[in-house]
Amino acid sequence: MDALFYTLVGIDLNWSSLPQQLVNGLVVGSIYALIALGYTMVYGVLRLINFAHGEVFMLGAYTALLSSWVMGFSPDAIRKFYESEAAKKLADPSYVERSIPADPFNLVIMILLAMAVCAVIGAVIEFFAYRPMRNQSRTAALITAIGVSLLLQYAGSLFLPASPPPSVAMEVNPYQTNVSVTLVPAPKEIRDKFDDSVSALEAAKESGADAETIGDLERKKNDLEGQVAATATAITMTQGKIVMLLTVLVLMAALRFLVLKTPAGRSMRAASHDFDSASLMGINVNRVVTFTFMLGSALAGAGAMMLVTFEGTSMQPFFGMAPGVKAFVAAVLGGIGNIPGAVLGGILMGLAETLVTWLGFSNYKDAVAFVILFIVLMFRPGGLLGSSKVEKV
Amino acid sequence: MALASLAWLGGCKDTAASGGDTKEPAASGGGATATGDVIKIGLVASQGGDLRPWGQDCIAGARLAEAEINAAGGIGGKKIQLIVEDSNSKPEEGKSAAEKLASEGVIGLVGEVASGITLQMKTVAMDRGLPLIAVGATNPDVTKDSNGLVSRVCYTDDVQGPVMAFFAYNDLKLRKVAIMTDNKQPYSQGLSASFAKRFKELGGEIVGEEFYQSGENQFGGQLTSIKSKNPDGIFMSGYFTEVGPMARQIRQQGMTNVKLMGGDGWDSTELTSSGGDAIVGGYFCNHYNNAEDRPEVQDFLKKFREANNGNDPGTTMAALGYDATMLMIDALKRMDAAKATMDSATLAKTISETVDFPGVSGKITLQGMNGDPEKRALVVQVTKTGQEFVKAYEPSEVVAK
Repeated sequence: MDALFYTLVGIDLNWSSLPQQLVNGLVVGSIYALIALGYTMVYGVLRLINFAHGEVFMLGAYTALLSSWVMGFSPDAIRKFYESEAAKKLADPSYVERSIPADPFNLVIMILLAMAVCAVIGAVIEFFAYRPMRNQSRTAALITAIGVSLLLQYAGSLFLPASPPPSVAMEVNPYQTNVSVTLVPAPKEIRDKFDDSVSALEAAKESGADAETIGDLERKKNDLEGQVAATATAITMTQGKIVMLLTVLVLMAALRFLVLKTPAGRSMRAASHDFDSASLMGINVNRVVTFTFMLGSALAGAGAMMLVTFEGTSMQPFFGMAPGVKAFVAAVLGGIGNIPGAVLGGILMGLAETLVTWLGFSNYKDAVAFVILFIVLMFRPGGLLGSSKVEKV
Repeated sequence: MALASLAWLGGCKDTAASGGDTKEPAASGGGATATGDVIKIGLVASQGGDLRPWGQDCIAGARLAEAEINAAGGIGGKKIQLIVEDSNSKPEEGKSAAEKLASEGVIGLVGEVASGITLQMKTVAMDRGLPLIAVGATNPDVTKDSNGLVSRVCYTDDVQGPVMAFFAYNDLKLRKVAIMTDNKQPYSQGLSASFAKRFKELGGEIVGEEFYQSGENQFGGQLTSIKSKNPDGIFMSGYFTEVGPMARQIRQQGMTNVKLMGGDGWDSTELTSSGGDAIVGGYFCNHYNNAEDRPEVQDFLKKFREANNGNDPGTTMAALGYDATMLMIDALKRMDAAKATMDSATLAKTISETVDFPGVSGKITLQGMNGDPEKRALVVQVTKTGQEFVKAYEPSEVVAK
């Protein structure tokens, strides 16, 4: 009955890939969450939507790229390395070609630099663009934010390497090995067939069969290997993704500690509760605002660095726009101004996107995220965890 | 429209001032007649924006053609002057660049490397009755309904899709292929469709098609869906900006034996940096390759290196820019030999009568082809330091009859 229904609506459900899809969604969502935190914290304190946040993310990615180039991973350096290896191999056929050694230490430098540069940029943007507008109408501040966003995009086009869109070289990343956890193995008959095909291939190779036979057997082996992988319920991810998820967790824990347990966090919460009263109570609100911008921007920088390093994303100056919009939607979904809400919104957006893809509708992936936002806002105008109190006009 | 006619008026005035020629425009809208000591050819190329590397190569190639003909004494004692205008990678700016060139009295237009910009240049060429030779525009619509004014020196997407399908089925012996399509790019959609059609005709199976948008950077969801269908190859019809990371993520999902394939959107020096080891060994369709031993290619490379401090061209657009400009010069030579009037209408007619022009990117015949030459297409393989020639196909071998 179920099967008939799904076939009728054109959905081809593949239950064995669901756990993998959930993990995919978590990875996508964790990056959305990191960016969404920046939107939500600034909104919480200033009631300002910082449209330039996506551009801060973009600059974080570029910081990671340029620092990797400085550390000897520029495209030219890498090409020269492989060319010299190939030349050595040509001169001495017994020579084993090397690859550039990757060092986790490089990644630490890259992420710290990206976070630091983004924090400074966030503070500078706030000081020069938003502070003079703070007592103006909110529309004026909003338009300033759009202006800053455009300024960074187009200034980036002038000064940053943009065409062809560059990317952080794979050689920087030492965490490329796949880690696989099998929850339910593939059906026994398929595994047996696969084992048979492997031994048949080996036998053929030993008996010196012709290239065509070996090719056919190899294709058969590959096909069965793929079938085993496709029918098993397993989660496969690179070490890099695990490092990424762990880093996100650490950053979020640190943020939680900072906001809840430190004097700076307390001032931030006070300013978010009532900006004017906080300032009357002797809190240096300017410093709080700068701190908020630095914190949010540093998180975006960390997210950007991990995305471009572990996924190999190409970048250009408009690279911050798409994740910026998604993260903004995530922040609204979770309840803008609410920190756990931003994390929840980000993860939900990531999961929604991958689950839609799992159902076979990758064509409508982006639309569905917005449909969810629409439905949630209809029933909870303040977002999932946000307070929906009517604002005083 | 108003703007166009104003520019046209301006164009007339300029021509009158510089050459004193006031001949009534022929054909649909005018065109120019070569007067004085020079024959002007207009080139539109992207000197800024995303397409800059292609634009720069295209200009370098076209300049080479200009220098070569002028060193040989020009045409009938007249020098060729190549005027370059910038389109900044934008269709609208490409249109105004073409208008500007038209008003400077060029006899014909060359450009652009991308279909979107070329389509805008086409409207100018049609208004002014100027012949246009497109450099790297592969979309089939570029030459459609152009009164014989628009032609190109590259193959179309209707060729490279089938070429890859044919190669996948017969050489790689793939039977189950999945497709990744960038649903924001008409180029990618068209290419996916032409690949799928031919692959199915050959007897292969398309086990699934997943979609993404340019600018996206995590493809885990789509790739897990593809993995569960167990394909033996994946055709990625988008641009290298997304293809590189996608290749990495395909391997990260554990699909280690799957063959990767694509179209000329892969052609970039950045592909191996974003794709890393994952993309090495992948196959794509390209216009020509520096390692080919045809004399046209080796002559061109020698000349290119001499003119560019010993550097090789970074992309195929240098050769295509050279071919497009040379094709126009070749037509002008034939007109001169036949003592024909040196005007745009005759030039357009002569270009469309080209037979077996020996281009760097292969032989070009335009006679009876409505502007689309039957170009050979190359399958190349990605290596750690660039690309390697695998096989060349004539369109007649791969396109269904």
